[in-house]
Amino acid sequence: MSPELVIALLAAAVQAGTPILFATLGEIISEKAGVLNLGVEGVMALSAFAAFITCHLTGSAWLGLLAGGMAGTLLCGLHSLVCQVFLGNQVVSGLALTLFGVGLATFLGTPYVGQSTEGFAKIALPLLSDLPVLGPIFFRHDVLVYLCYASPVAVWFLLNRTSLGLGLRAAGEMPAAAAAAGLKPQRLRAFGVMAGGFLCGLGGAYLSLAHTHLWTTGLSGGRGWVAVALVIFAFWRPGRAVIGAFLFGSVMAFQLRLQATGTNVPSSLLLMLPYALTVIVLVFSAARARRSGAPAALGVNIEPED
Amino acid sequence: MKHWLRAAGVLVFILALALAGCEKAPDKAAAPAAAGPKTGELKVGFVYTSPVGDAGYSWAHDQGRKAVEKMDGVKTSYVEAVKDGADAERVIENMARGGFDLVFATNFGFMDPTMKVAKDYPNVKFMHCSGFKSSENVSNYFGRIYQARYLTGITAGHMTKSNTIGYVAAFPIPEVIRGINAFTLGVRSVNPKAQVRVVWTKTWFDPALEKDAAVSLLDVGCDIIAQHQNSPGPQEAAQERGKYSIGYNSDMSSFAPKAHLTAAVWNWAPLYEATVKEVREGTWKGNRAIWWGMDKGAVDIAPFGPMVPKDVQDKVLAQKALLMKGEDKIFVGPIKDQGGQVKIAAGVKAEDKELLGMTWFVEGVVGSVQ
Amino acid sequence: MNLVIRKREKSLGWGVLVVYLVALALALFVCALLLTLSGKSGMGGLAILFRAAFGQGYSLLDSLVKAIPIFLCALGVALSFRMQVWNIGAEGQFALGAVGATWAALTFSGLPGFALMPLMFLCAMACGGAWGLLPAALRLRLGVSEIISSLMLNYIGILLLEYLVFGFWKDPASFGFPMTAEFSSGGQIARIAPGVLGKLHWGLLACPIAGVAYSVFLSRTRLGFELAACGEGERVARYAQLPYAFLVFLVMGLGGALAGLAGSIEISATVGRLQPTVMVGYGYTAIVVAWLARLRPWGIAFTAYLLAAFRVGAEVMQLEMQVPAAIGPIMEGLILLCVLAGQFFLTYSVSLGRAPKPEAACPGGNGAEEARP
Repeated sequence: MSPELVIALLAAAVQAGTPILFATLGEIISEKAGVLNLGVEGVMALSAFAAFITCHLTGSAWLGLLAGGMAGTLLCGLHSLVCQVFLGNQVVSGLALTLFGVGLATFLGTPYVGQSTEGFAKIALPLLSDLPVLGPIFFRHDVLVYLCYASPVAVWFLLNRTSLGLGLRAAGEMPAAAAAAGLKPQRLRAFGVMAGGFLCGLGGAYLSLAHTHLWTTGLSGGRGWVAVALVIFAFWRPGRAVIGAFLFGSVMAFQLRLQATGTNVPSSLLLMLPYALTVIVLVFSAARARRSGAPAALGVNIEPED
Repeated sequence: MKHWLRAAGVLVFILALALAGCEKAPDKAAAPAAAGPKTGELKVGFVYTSPVGDAGYSWAHDQGRKAVEKMDGVKTSYVEAVKDGADAERVIENMARGGFDLVFATNFGFMDPTMKVAKDYPNVKFMHCSGFKSSENVSNYFGRIYQARYLTGITAGHMTKSNTIGYVAAFPIPEVIRGINAFTLGVRSVNPKAQVRVVWTKTWFDPALEKDAAVSLLDVGCDIIAQHQNSPGPQEAAQERGKYSIGYNSDMSSFAPKAHLTAAVWNWAPLYEATVKEVREGTWKGNRAIWWGMDKGAVDIAPFGPMVPKDVQDKVLAQKALLMKGEDKIFVGPIKDQGGQVKIAAGVKAEDKELLGMTWFVEGVVGSVQ
Repeated sequence: MNLVIRKREKSLGWGVLVVYLVALALALFVCALLLTLSGKSGMGGLAILFRAAFGQGYSLLDSLVKAIPIFLCALGVALSFRMQVWNIGAEGQFALGAVGATWAALTFSGLPGFALMPLMFLCAMACGGAWGLLPAALRLRLGVSEIISSLMLNYIGILLLEYLVFGFWKDPASFGFPMTAEFSSGGQIARIAPGVLGKLHWGLLACPIAGVAYSVFLSRTRLGFELAACGEGERVARYAQLPYAFLVFLVMGLGGALAGLAGSIEISATVGRLQPTVMVGYGYTAIVVAWLARLRPWGIAFTAYLLAAFRVGAEVMQLEMQVPAAIGPIMEGLILLCVLAGQFFLTYSVSLGRAPKPEAACPGGNGAEEARP
C-alpha cells in the first residue's frame, strides 16, 4: 500500500471509530457505576432515528444531536428502572432493551426510509488540517469527530477527578460501603446508566447525522455490540477505549481497502477479522483486565434491606 | 398433584392439535376452481424477504404493489422480512388459506416453499421471482435489470478519467454478479482500458458501512462509484469527494445531485398490473418464465445528471433505443472471464438459464467472486 | 406512611401466574398503544394476534414447529444460567450445529436414514458443543468474559457458515445461489402426519427427551445439585470445593450441544439443506425464553411456545393490517422488560405502612443494620 492509501485508511478509521468510541465511553460510565448495559445496540438504533427525525423536521443538526442523546438517556432510564427499582437481571434487561430499541426505531422509522437530512458537514480545521500526515488523518472531519476527541478526556475527568465520579465508582465497587458513607448508590447508578446512555445516543446520532445523512433500517449495524466488547478491551479506561475504537475502525477500513485493491480472499473471511480480533485482543488483555478495572459489583443489583 | 395437572395440560394440548388437524383436512381437498374470468374482489399477496424499509429491493417491489392496489376491485397485502424456508412456507400457506387469489413470492429463496404450498392449493396462482421451478399454478418472473446496468456502464465508461470504476456490492449471488458483468461489459464496450473494482459488504442494511466501502474504492483511485446496495450511502461518498456516482433501484439524484450520473431503475408496476389483469380475465397460465426487460418497461435508467455531456447521452440513448426494440446483445460472445478464458463463444448469445446462474466475473473486473 | 419492601418468606403460589399475566397484559397494552399511535386499530391488532396465534388448529401446529428450535436452545442456555454463566452464544452454536450436520449429510449421503440421522445429530452436537466450550476455556484459563467471547463467536460462526455455503459447499445446481445441495432423503426429518398434523415433524421428539433429561439431571444427580449450588457465584462454589471449572465446561458444552442439535433439526426438517437464511435469531430468542421461564423446563416449553405463537401471529397481523414486521421484536422486548420488573414482586412484598426507620423505605437500603424491622 502506498503512503497516501495508508493515510486515507487511517482517516477512514477515525471516522468509523467515532460512533463506537462514543458508545464505548458511555458503556464505561455505566459499568463503572456497576450496571452492565447490553442494550447499547438498541440505544444506538433508536437515538440514530431520534436524531434523524429531529434534524429532518427542525432543520437543526444540533437539535438532532441533542435529541439523539436524550433518546439514549430515556431508553437507558428504562433499563435503570427495571434494574435499579425492580431489581431485574441486568443481562436480560439489556438484551430486552436491544430488541425493543432496534424494533422501535424500525417501526417508527418506516415512513421516513430513504429520506435524507442536512446533518453535519465536514469542516477542515484551519492550520491543523494543513499538517502533513496528521492533518488529513485527524483534522478534516465533521464537528462530531472533534467533539469525540474531547470526550475521553471529559469522561476520564468525570470519573477520576470529581466527587461525582468518586461516588459513581463507589456505587460500582462497594455499594454497601458507599451507602454507609452516606452516598445514595441507587441514584448514582441511575445517573451513571443515563449519562452513559446520553453518550451512546451521541454515537447513534453520529451515524444518521454525520457518517451518513439518511435514514434506513439497520443503521446501527452491530456497532453497539462492538462497543460492549471494547469496554473490556479498554480495562474500563477512557484512554484505552480510544485505542480500541481506532483499532477496530482500522481493521474494518483495512479489509475494505484490501478488497478494493483486488484480492482473492473470500469476503466472509475478511469480515470475520474485526470480531476475531476482538476475541484475540480479549485473550491477551483479559488476565490484566481481571486485576485492573473491572468494577467489583458489576452486574450485581443492590438488594433492599428489610 | 402438580405433576398430574401438568400431564393433563399436555394431554389437552395434544388433543387440541389432533382436532385441529382433522378440522383442517377438508379445506385442502377443495376441487380446483374452473379456469375462467374471476369476478368479485381479487386478493393479491406479496411476500418480501426484507423490510419494505430497506429502500431497495423489497421497496421497489412494494412500489409495484401500490400500483396494483390502485386497480379496480383489487385488494393487496404483504408480509415483509420473511426468511426462506419454514417461515416462508408458513406465510405463503397463510396467504393461500386466507383466500388470496394470486401470490407474488419475490425472493429466490422462496422457490421451494412456493412449490410445496402450490401443490396443496391448486386454485391459487403463484408467481415466483428469479427462480426456475414452475408448475400448473406456478410461473416465474424476473426483470432484466442488467440491461439498465449495461447502459449505466456505457455512461461510466465515457465519464471516467482514471479508467478505474468502483462497484459496492452486497452479496456474491448471481443477480449481483450478472449486474456487475453487464455493467463492466458496458464500460468496456466504449473504454476497453477501464477496469471495475468490486468491494463486497455482505449486508443489505448498513448504510454507514456501504459508504465506507465506497470511500475505500475512491481511495484506490476510482472516480465513479456504482452500487448494488439499497442505501444511497455510496452516492454520498462520491459527492463528498467531488467524484461521480451511479445509483440503483430508483433515481437517487436527490441524495447526491452533483455526483449522480444516472441510475439503473426497477419498475415492477407494469409486470404486476399485467399479471393481475391476466388472472382477472382468466388468461393466466402456469409453467411460464416471464423475463421482462426495457422493452416492456420493467427496467429503465434514471434521467441523466447535468454533468453528462450531450454526446454521451446520445450514445447511451442510441443503445437504449436498440434495447427498447428488443435487441439485447449484451451477453453475446466472445466474452472472457477474469482469467482470460472464453466463457461465451463468439457469436453465441447466453441463454437465460446461464444468466440466472452466473458465478464468474467477466474480464475487466478486479476482485474476488466470493 | 411509606412504601415498605420486604423479602417474601414463602412463594406466592398462584400469585405467580397473576404477576405474569399482569406483566404480559401491560406489554401488550403498550403494543396496542403503539399501533393506535401509528393510525391502526390497537385492539383490533391484538385480536388478530390472538386469533392467528391460538385461534385455529393450523396456527397451533405452526407455532409448535417454530417452538422446537427455540425450546432446545433455551434449555441449553438455561443450563449455564443456572450457575450464573452467561452463555449468549446459542446463535453461533446453532450455526455450527447446522454446519456439522450438513457436513455429515453431504459426506455420507448414501447412508440410510437410521444411520445417517444419528450421525448428523452427533456431528451437530459435537460442533455446537465445541463452539460452546471455546468461551468456557477462555473464561477459565484466561478470564475472558464469556458474555463477550460467546457473542463474538456468534458473528464468527455465522460468517463461517456463510463462507462454506458461498464457497465450496455451494450446490452446482442452485444457479449460484448460496445453498448446499438438498440432503438425501435419509438426511431429512420427515413430517409426522402431513395431512393431519401439518408441518409438525419428528424433530419434536427431541424436545421431551431433552426436557426430561434436563430435569432429571438437575433434580436427581449429584452433579445437578452441585450445579445449582454454583448458582451462588464462583467464590462460594470454590469455597465449598465444588468442581467449578468442570461444571462450567459441562454446562457450556451441553448448552452448545443442545443448540447444535436445534440447528441440525431445523435445517434437516424444514429446509432440507443448508443456507445462510436459516439463521433467524433463535439463539437470542432462547435467552429471552430461558429467563422468562425462570430456567424451569416446563416454563421454557410454555414460553417457547408462547413466543413462537406471537411470532406467527405477528405475521398475520402484518398480512391483515400492514403493520411493520418490527412489531414482533418490540413486543418481545416489552414482554421481557415487564416480566423482569414483575418478578420483583415474586421475591419482595411491597406494602404501604409506616417504616420503622426512614432509611428502610429506600430500596437499596443504606446498608444500616438497625433498619431491619
